[in-house]
Amino acid sequence: MPVFIGQDVTRIDALDKVLGRAAFAYDLKTDDMLFACVVRSEKPHALIKKIETARALSMEGVAAVLTHIDIPGENSFGAIKKDQQFLAKDRVRYVGEPIAVVVGVNEEVARKASGFVRIEYEELQVISDPFVSMTSPVLIHDEGNLLSHRKVIKGDIEKGFNESDVIVENTYRTTWVDHAYMETEAGLGYMDDDGRIVVVSSTQNIHYKMKEISRMLAMPPERVRVIQATTGGGFGGKLDVTVEGFLALCVYHLKRTVVMRFTREESFLAQTKRHPLHIEYKTGARKDGSINAVRVNITGDTGPYISYGETVCLRAAVHATGPYEVPNVHVDSRMFYTNNPVAGAMRGFGVPQLAFAHESQLDKIAGILNMDPLDIRIKNALRRGSLTATSQALEHSAGLPETLKRIEPFWRSRERQNDRRGFGLGCMYYGIGNTGVSNPSDCYLTFMPEGRIALHSGVCEIGQGSDTVLMQILCESLAMDDEKIVLLRGDTDTSRDAGSSSASRQTYISGMAVCDAAQKMKKYLEKEGYYSGRPLTDICEAALGKGDAMFEGHFDPPTTPVDMETSRGAPYATYAFATHMTEVEVNEVTGACRVVKVHAAHDVGRAVNVKNVRGQICGGIAMGIGLALMEEFSPGKSKSLDDYYMPTSMDMPEVEAIIVEDREPTGPYGAKGVGEPALIPQAASIVNAIKDATGVEARELPCHIERLKLLLEARRQK
Amino acid sequence: MKTISFILNGKKTVVEVRDSETLLYALRERLGITSVKEGCEIGECGTCTVLIDDEPHYSCMTLASKANGSDVKTVEFLGTADLLHPLQEAFINSGAVQCGYCTPGMLLSAYSLLLKNKDPDTDDIREAISGNLCRCTGYIQIVEAIKDAAGLCKHNS
Ligand code: FES
Ligand code: FES
Repeated sequence: MPVFIGQDVTRIDALDKVLGRAAFAYDLKTDDMLFACVVRSEKPHALIKKIETARALSMEGVAAVLTHIDIPGENSFGAIKKDQQFLAKDRVRYVGEPIAVVVGVNEEVARKASGFVRIEYEELQVISDPFVSMTSPVLIHDEGNLLSHRKVIKGDIEKGFNESDVIVENTYRTTWVDHAYMETEAGLGYMDDDGRIVVVSSTQNIHYKMKEISRMLAMPPERVRVIQATTGGGFGGKLDVTVEGFLALCVYHLKRTVVMRFTREESFLAQTKRHPLHIEYKTGARKDGSINAVRVNITGDTGPYISYGETVCLRAAVHATGPYEVPNVHVDSRMFYTNNPVAGAMRGFGVPQLAFAHESQLDKIAGILNMDPLDIRIKNALRRGSLTATSQALEHSAGLPETLKRIEPFWRSRERQNDRRGFGLGCMYYGIGNTGVSNPSDCYLTFMPEGRIALHSGVCEIGQGSDTVLMQILCESLAMDDEKIVLLRGDTDTSRDAGSSSASRQTYISGMAVCDAAQKMKKYLEKEGYYSGRPLTDICEAALGKGDAMFEGHFDPPTTPVDMETSRGAPYATYAFATHMTEVEVNEVTGACRVVKVHAAHDVGRAVNVKNVRGQICGGIAMGIGLALMEEFSPGKSKSLDDYYMPTSMDMPEVEAIIVEDREPTGPYGAKGVGEPALIPQAASIVNAIKDATGVEARELPCHIERLKLLLEARRQK
Repeated sequence: MKTISFILNGKKTVVEVRDSETLLYALRERLGITSVKEGCEIGECGTCTVLIDDEPHYSCMTLASKANGSDVKTVEFLGTADLLHPLQEAFINSGAVQCGYCTPGMLLSAYSLLLKNKDPDTDDIREAISGNLCRCTGYIQIVEAIKDAAGLCKHNS
């Protein structure tokens, strides 16, 4: 029997994609469809006095102008809490907040008409800084401007610092980053023959969106169907409801097929961003380099709505020490509301920002103690048996020491080709799955009349390769060729809730759900003689005749909720670990930094598909380069790809991906996850390499050309 | 409106377009070629890349009328499921495809490069695709794929 796990199995979606025939949402548009676009707030904070739609409505070709009064059910959505309105009723809290939807016979008509929807505002005082928000009498929400305050407390922080020989204290800042997936948010909606609402969209989660639509329309979820179109990237930005609610509302009222697509400008203006964090970081270490105390104060700008702000707040806190065993920890992580863009989920949920801080701190300590940056990491690395910052004992897969070991020969033999070059290290750990909460995945297998097996999967393939990986896991579990298996995917009608494609969770969690279903089916197949040669067609027919047709799979990673005061607990069932070593070359005159080479060692538990894992690593490195050196979203200024710089092929280094497989016993064939880990340590390693090359310490990201030039000039003047 | 005629993927094509219309619009909306993607509409991302007389162009920045009398190629020209172009084959085999949104444009830029340079090195390839953004792959496996395809093409010719 062929082996599927660990093989370079070809992606099942690649053929359609290279032929140009993969159908992304907007490719499904036909001439008879209506086009809908959104009228958005021009004010960052205002009361809505009046919404004038008559003029737009009277224009030729306009089918409807919908506002909050047209929402039959609840006008609210939110992944964590339902605090955001689909269409604002009496108040807006950020520029770009949706107020009305204009539907026209085509895009041109709809967009033109949307310019004639008049909104009267009464402006409110704007809060554009979390530190102002903290003490301001102006409240963005009645409950106050503090969204969330999470703490991690371990040991005795005072004592920890008192017993430290070196103390290093610095402040780090990061800014907004846009997901900038190549495909902007898009979808279409229609009413099926049974009068149900169907939405096909570019999304990272179908069942969540089905539930939101059902609440909005006050319809039972069975009356709503959500299908995932081929999705052109997600990175967290397509987790929140984007076009889906509007489409469903339009279909509800018009009973016609309606299509939507955000322009790039709209996507920049209105969609969520990576959280800007202000990180005050104090580290105490002993002479031998062991970290004895870490005190972190994180202040985040979450924008006016929650989105994933609470998640980022907590995840940043529990990962704040980095992948090191620290006996005394005190972290305060707080998110404040502002009238800036909504900050939400983006690849890493706050952890890349923290990695920048803890890795810079560690190099600083190593410098003072005259220690090699690699040695200090080896000394403090979490390993099997270690206690994390939340006092979780790492019992199983914990391959950080191995990633360090694999990097070691390259590090020890590094040589500067010229004096503008430098090398830096970055380590990370990352909890797979959602933090301290149940986050199950469900799937099922059926027999098909044509004599094959169907995997019913609700997992959203967003480019990361989950469809292929799940098929590999199923083939391996059933010891069956993929020709005998059909993947029925991404449709709420034919699948169960697998949770979102986020938090690097699908290989691990949905992979286990598939294993679970496969085990049950395998027993059945054994009994029916499949493995002793009875044809599958036969078994299928007989099984369908008897009604033995469904095998359910379920997995919920074993976690414990974390303590509200101390975050003590086991927030994740397993962690990924990584070490990146980066070489840069800095032009001392211009401030341009080029990343020359990256060695990236990742403990992924088990690489189900080596090529995909490498693809994630390379893509993560690109995004890390963007975070470190170029990507900066400034509200009001960054409007299009013209004024938002992200890595091109010219910015990429040579990459050596090193895969470490410290198998995770609770994962499918030992696998964990890699999507976010690939990005997390990259910016940190670049900043450390810049320091090595130039002596300059960047404390604010991105360290783009102008900023680095100023830092270099300042150093020269000293 | 005016009538333009050009060769599209080897076939003579006649279509009515507005004066101000982009080639991107004409291809997608009038001719149903949805492999030509839109990512920005301002000539920054390259997802709308087409070849005009074998040179890559951003179709969002090109007036449809400019295609009049020329040879236009989209990814459909390269190959079919039964007969893939070596570039397509290499993209599949090298892991150069993730979400796939940049893929058609990327393939066309690569195709144009290989017409001019049978033996491109890494820098040539990077340069050739520098106008095509990809948010997923980090370009590494794309560059590898193009290099592999160049080898294959040489071998075949
Ligand atoms: S859509 Fe033409 S370059 Fe982006
Ligand atoms: S594969 Fe997603 S943008 Fe290139």
